[in-house]
Amino acid sequence: MKARTGYSTSLKQEFLKKWIKGIRIYSNFKKDMNILERKKAIKLSADLAIASTRNASTRWSRTLTANISKNETNKIFVEQIFSDSEVIKKEAPSRLMARSNRIASKKIWRRSHITQIKARKMGPYAVKARSIAKKLVKNRTKVLKSLVPGGENMDGISLIKETLDYIVSLRVQVDVMRRLASAAENSTRSL
Amino acid sequence: MSSRRSRSRQAESSRISEDQINELVSKLQQLLPEIQTRHSDKMSAAKILQETCNYIRNLHREVDGLSERLSELLETSDTAQAALIRSLLMQ
Repeated sequence: MKARTGYSTSLKQEFLKKWIKGIRIYSNFKKDMNILERKKAIKLSADLAIASTRNASTRWSRTLTANISKNETNKIFVEQIFSDSEVIKKEAPSRLMARSNRIASKKIWRRSHITQIKARKMGPYAVKARSIAKKLVKNRTKVLKSLVPGGENMDGISLIKETLDYIVSLRVQVDVMRRLASAAENSTRSL
Repeated sequence: MSSRRSRSRQAESSRISEDQINELVSKLQQLLPEIQTRHSDKMSAAKILQETCNYIRNLHREVDGLSERLSELLETSDTAQAALIRSLLMQ
């Protein structure tokens, strides 16, 4: 098992290379970009690069790439970036929905039954407190699903696993972008 | 008889996944920046989820802000960019 710092360094390098490759391809595509276009090129390349470090092994990375490719103008650009290596997989709609609905209805029956038993043991106030806590968790899970690409169709455990990976990747992205920005500031100062 | 056995098996599998979830949620807490985990040991699942959402939103905002900043900085000549990139790749 690689040491923690070793892992993130190679990840950062991989991201940086892919990101710069993307920016170069984009600049060949669109010469003379204005400041907004350049921002879009930088951001798009960064997102594609960080997603590609996962090699399609996580849902969030596949969804992110697929979402970017949905746009017609981006599609050509994305195809150029991935021309030599990976394939852009179309993210299949989740087949988990039907199964999770069946499980959900079973859970609802079981939950109402268990709640009655608990009310007899714990007393009504404790039960209410528990249900409020559960509602909070449910609402916040919903928000989390909207923040992680492809999160809407994930079950609880997958969602947390994907979130862990997503956050680590976002941190790599921010870290490298920050360093590039400060290096750019330093170099313009010395010019 | 068999129903009791299958019920306890169900309870056990839900216990296993509850342990799994608790372990994953604590991993989530470990990822949060220290500023957000002031009450470290006492964080509830709901709180951890909330702070995770805030953290992700902040990271998104940072990426966007950095893209804007870089767009301004990289406006200058290509040679400056090339030198910059070269120096970074050497790290």
